[in-house]
Amino acid sequence: MDNERNIDVTVNGRSHSANVPARRRLSEFIRDDLGLTGTHVGCEHGVCGTCTVQLDGETVRSCLMFAVQADGAEIMTVEGLADGGALHPIQEAFWQEHGLQCGFCTPGILMTVHEFLLENKGPLEEEIRHALSGNLCRCTGYQNIVKAVETADRLWER
Amino acid sequence: MGATMIGERVKRLEDPRLLTGEGGFVDDIQLPNTLHAAFLRSPHGNARIRGIDLSAARAAPGVVDAFSLSDGWPDAPPTIPVLAPVDGLLPCPQYLLARDQVRYVGEAVAVIVAESRDLAEDAMELAEVDYEPLPAIATMESGMASGAEVLHDTVPDNVAVRWTQGIGDVAEAFDGAAHVVSDTFRMQRYTGVPMEGRGTLATQDPVNGELTVWTSGQWPHTQRALTAALLGLEEKSIRVIQPEVGGGFGVKVELYPEDVLIPFAALRVGRPVKWIEDRREHMLTVVHAREMDIDLSVALEADGTIRGMRCRLLSDQGGYFRTLGTVNPSLAITSVPGPYRIENYEGEVVCVLTNKSPSSPYRGAGGPEAVFARERLFDMAAREIGMDPAAFREKNILPADAMPYDTGLVSVESTVVFDSGDFPAGLQRALDAIDYAGFRAEQARDREQGRLRGLGICVYTQMASVGPYESAEVRVDGGGKVAVVSGAAPQGQGTGTALAQVVADQLEVPLDQITVTFADTARIPFGVGTYASRNAVMAGSATLVASERVRDKAIAVAAHLLEASEADVEWHEGTARLKGVAEKSHTLAELAQAAGPGGNRPEGMEPGLEIRHYFETLDAPFAFGVHIAEVEVEPETGDVDIKRYVAFSDCGRLINPMIVEGQIVGGIAQGVGGALLEELVYDEDGQMLSANLADYQLPTSLDLPNVEISHEESPSPLNPLGAKGIGEGGAIAGHAVIANAVEDAIAHTGARVRETPLRPAAVWKLMQEAGAASS
Repeated sequence: MDNERNIDVTVNGRSHSANVPARRRLSEFIRDDLGLTGTHVGCEHGVCGTCTVQLDGETVRSCLMFAVQADGAEIMTVEGLADGGALHPIQEAFWQEHGLQCGFCTPGILMTVHEFLLENKGPLEEEIRHALSGNLCRCTGYQNIVKAVETADRLWER
Repeated sequence: MGATMIGERVKRLEDPRLLTGEGGFVDDIQLPNTLHAAFLRSPHGNARIRGIDLSAARAAPGVVDAFSLSDGWPDAPPTIPVLAPVDGLLPCPQYLLARDQVRYVGEAVAVIVAESRDLAEDAMELAEVDYEPLPAIATMESGMASGAEVLHDTVPDNVAVRWTQGIGDVAEAFDGAAHVVSDTFRMQRYTGVPMEGRGTLATQDPVNGELTVWTSGQWPHTQRALTAALLGLEEKSIRVIQPEVGGGFGVKVELYPEDVLIPFAALRVGRPVKWIEDRREHMLTVVHAREMDIDLSVALEADGTIRGMRCRLLSDQGGYFRTLGTVNPSLAITSVPGPYRIENYEGEVVCVLTNKSPSSPYRGAGGPEAVFARERLFDMAAREIGMDPAAFREKNILPADAMPYDTGLVSVESTVVFDSGDFPAGLQRALDAIDYAGFRAEQARDREQGRLRGLGICVYTQMASVGPYESAEVRVDGGGKVAVVSGAAPQGQGTGTALAQVVADQLEVPLDQITVTFADTARIPFGVGTYASRNAVMAGSATLVASERVRDKAIAVAAHLLEASEADVEWHEGTARLKGVAEKSHTLAELAQAAGPGGNRPEGMEPGLEIRHYFETLDAPFAFGVHIAEVEVEPETGDVDIKRYVAFSDCGRLINPMIVEGQIVGGIAQGVGGALLEELVYDEDGQMLSANLADYQLPTSLDLPNVEISHEESPSPLNPLGAKGIGEGGAIAGHAVIANAVEDAIAHTGARVRETPLRPAAVWKLMQEAGAASS
């Protein structure tokens, strides 16, 4: 294939070296090349936040990046949250508070919340709502997602 | 042991896989050797096709196949059928690919199949279609105007069907009225917009020839039947599987051209073919909803008692009538009277064709439109006769002793008969929850200080399930584990958890011993699907009966093994035991083994501890609710802030209140989105101006309130669970209640809310125009 580049990335703690076409998006690389299909794609133009992953600890929209731009980066996806069979406290909180229905937007929201709670302890509802405002959910009306973030804040020792 | 799981806020069994990224949505299914399809789509709202040249596309790198309608069907191409026809509907069906004319932007013209999606899209650039653009019809008014461009020769005035229906003597009701209040309301075009778009993967088994199709849908069995019919195949040669679905909200209850074309392509090329819709395709080609113009009149006695109503409803159907194109107008025209005593009513429906994506049900399906018009008009009527809007509703609402109440109306889906409930008590509870009298006092005080606070009330009913049946099979394996298979096809509602709760009560086994799967035509031969808020009622009742019969069968096997009569055997925590002799017992696993073929069961008993049941009914229950919202309008900008939102619902017996409340709040989110933000905008050429999520505004976490919920449980007599659906109630009431609250906040300026969405600019303009008119 023309225009291929080699990239080295670490995803959820595991190293990968791969040749990717220059136009391959990071979301496609994660889903199709690495088989990590927990990262979903909702709009492909950077609005819905469904494809959010963490790149060197910061959330990015993987549909708006080329895979080659991630060369050398450490990436975390939703598959990196749980510790073996044990859910991450954020995942536990979403389960407990019914913070998801169809679950399609959920991986991106979990990534956003993970970054937000690492930087914020005891956030106010208004702050949580601002933090979530870049992730669209069509099922829940956000009410239980907000509750889940409040619960996660209490459950997660960090 | 009585029912212990039904009614419990059980955490969902679906969630762990979804939370860890292990859910299997259609695009997560990756088969080796898969090809990818791209659809060449019309850039015109209305154009004749003079020619299609795919030769350069076929020769492009990686392209394996490219075809138009005439390539695929040289002789008589099939069309998508209308499944709920009404008398007089003129034929205006859609081919799977455009034949000689395109009638909306995005209509598929050709399919290109290549080694990757990128290569298929590259090749699309090389396809050539010779279009002769025609004038587009962008509004119902222009479509009905004399001399308008005719979209289908079979529909000379662009009105595909019109009909009237009603009850009582409307002329007499209006002739003798003390007051008649009339107005026209317009609801904009908007739709479901699930976060996962549509998508299909199809492959043919090289050994047995079976075609397997995975689709992000809502009705796999119907999809199988229609796919077989359109492709001229036998149903048994097709297996449709609905994997995890990322939201549907009604817009995936449809047979889309792509649903048939992807399997067709897989058969042509002999390899798996996948198509995953992008968001622009979604906005352009998913079925649209809601766009109606409604003229509504109410005739009143001097004291505000309703004597009768008249309605004329124009429904913008888009370019074609698709499978369920009649449902929105039919449900709308039969939802207008709603939970009030209205004995004289006449409704007229006019279905107009325009150059837009076809319309079809989306959460609420005609309910939001009708309830918006009615609840708006009732506020206006109350204001006109100097009556409080809550008192107006209290005067006219159906009393508890009227139940069951037959409105006399019949939609294409069901008769409109309210089966149970105490509507006045529900209205009172909602008014108490918001402290109605207290609010009115504060509102007057705050208005003097320039704060624009408003309160809206919406009282509604919703068709809370629809027949004709749903299937469930309950099977116990030799290890005592219970497997439930249903023909329902949920899209995130948590139905698997609810059905497991039903089974857990009957068999008295823990939830972790139960698995529930859905929506695979190879696992269960008949199924209907998930729409019209029907899962709890239909799949729930089928599961209840099947699991009761499994328990009865297990008791019969136990009686045989214990050499006792069935009357002497009791069921206790998943085991059958001889009454009073606890050690004489058999576990579910033992009973399943004994019941199996070759086991030790009563003579004449069919082997297997398994029952398949079809719950059949044509009677739809109706749920009831009252929503009250408080808003504040920013005087300088027209921005609407929702301060409080109270939702009272009566959806019969609750299986899992947590799930029910999630449905209520989620539905409200979509109603509020429609009231304040969302709109599918077409320009005069039929070009869509809102074909992405930046221009089509879905509500975010900053736009929606925390909903205060209360319930009453009036069991439905129409099903053994006593359940009624509620999935659509929030979308129905949420739109109207916000519109009412906004008008209430600005009514003193003379402003009247007749259309939505109420974006800040629209509200500001209403206030300015009213202010200009009054000064």
